[in-house]
Amino acid sequence: MLDVHLDSWLRTFGPRGREEVTAGSVSQLLDVLEGKYPKLRFKIRDETGHLRRYVRVFVDGEDVSATTGVATPLTGTEKVDILHSIAGG
Amino acid sequence: MATDRKVRVLLGTRKGTYVVEGDARRRSWKVGPVAHAGNEVYHVVADPRHPGVLYAAVNNGFWGPSVQRSTDWGKRWKEIATPLTPLSKNRPPPDDPGNASAGRPLINLWHIEPALADDPATLYLGADPHLLFRTPDEGKSWEPIDSINQHPAKKDWSPGAGGACLHTILVDPRDGNRLYIGLSAVGTFRSEDAGRSWTPTNKGVETPFLPEKFPETGQCVHHVVMDAANPDVFYRQDHGGMYVSHDRMDSWRRIGKPLGDDFGFCVATPAAAPGRAYFVRLGGEARVTAEGYFQVFEWNDATKKWKALVRPKQFPGDFGVHREGIATDRLDPPGIYVGTTTGQLFLSPDGGKSWSMVPYAFPGIHSVSVAGPEAK
Repeated sequence: MLDVHLDSWLRTFGPRGREEVTAGSVSQLLDVLEGKYPKLRFKIRDETGHLRRYVRVFVDGEDVSATTGVATPLTGTEKVDILHSIAGG
Repeated sequence: MATDRKVRVLLGTRKGTYVVEGDARRRSWKVGPVAHAGNEVYHVVADPRHPGVLYAAVNNGFWGPSVQRSTDWGKRWKEIATPLTPLSKNRPPPDDPGNASAGRPLINLWHIEPALADDPATLYLGADPHLLFRTPDEGKSWEPIDSINQHPAKKDWSPGAGGACLHTILVDPRDGNRLYIGLSAVGTFRSEDAGRSWTPTNKGVETPFLPEKFPETGQCVHHVVMDAANPDVFYRQDHGGMYVSHDRMDSWRRIGKPLGDDFGFCVATPAAAPGRAYFVRLGGEARVTAEGYFQVFEWNDATKKWKALVRPKQFPGDFGVHREGIATDRLDPPGIYVGTTTGQLFLSPDGGKSWSMVPYAFPGIHSVSVAGPEAK
């Protein structure tokens, strides 16, 4: 089971801070979350399926946002953190 | 919700939505609490067909755009359906060469326009990249208007500095099938068939930034308004100057040259004083008021003359005003409201004779619109 943590801002769209999810990739993980919490749709990913610019996904502490992104494979036991990055002004 | 005699100035700002309430005398104002805090709000508009109902185009830098709706004059807001790009269901796939927005998500929402009173659930929405949507059910769902979203020339359309925004939507009050839109940096179009087809309407508008000076499209229109008494008359602030049309945008005549530099972004026209239009002239390079103080210029379409409305140096400074940054109410004499990019809300309760400033420092103001009573 994946151990998924979402930041406080993402929790305003429905989820608790921590979710347990079964998925084989980041994309599948997001499909599951969005199915459970429809208000998350198009917040983490845009409608092209890409991560939004200021969203960061960490898999076991490694930022995969700008590398393998939503295609990142998961074995099913990782800790996944989904955060918004430091940006703005 | 019942109507009342309050004038509500609706502000979309860099950091949220504000509703500023005044009475019909327009002498004292109460600033309501911010909504959508931290979000870029490009447009807030009241639905005159449903008193109390407001819509906001909210653009979040992290989570993307959303359409928000209030049914109590902005006290509470709820996210409603947000339109998607042509990548949504029933649209061509992203690798389809006919899909002009291939691979591009919805970027920002720019303008929400209610349709006419006899079509009470319909609204239009303009977005970046050059997208137009219609809802038939008060925002529960949105239909892409493919005549624009999949326009065959779209591959040649360029964005302006603010993006590929579709920022102006006007509905002819005599015929809801006649629509007008403005896009950066493409120009204006008219539809006679509720958006099934469009005709470019930029004849006479100069493009000083292109090799061809009067092309059919490519104008960087900044904003257009329709005269309240004559829906065949339009006032236009273009990148290339200030213009008027008397023939449903079939042709345009430049009126701004007597002002010297007639660059700017915004224009408004009052219900109680037809034939007048208000412009805020900005320096073309710095894009702030060119005089070193706040100033609004009134165009009188009957006398063909300009008049500066604000006493020189009453409000010294260098002020920017965005394309939705000026609005009027429907009272007589008309109230004029101007929001600046540095957060001042200037207003005149008497058609420009006197001016004051709401004593509140707002975040930079993107849009100003007014919900209020009709003149008695």
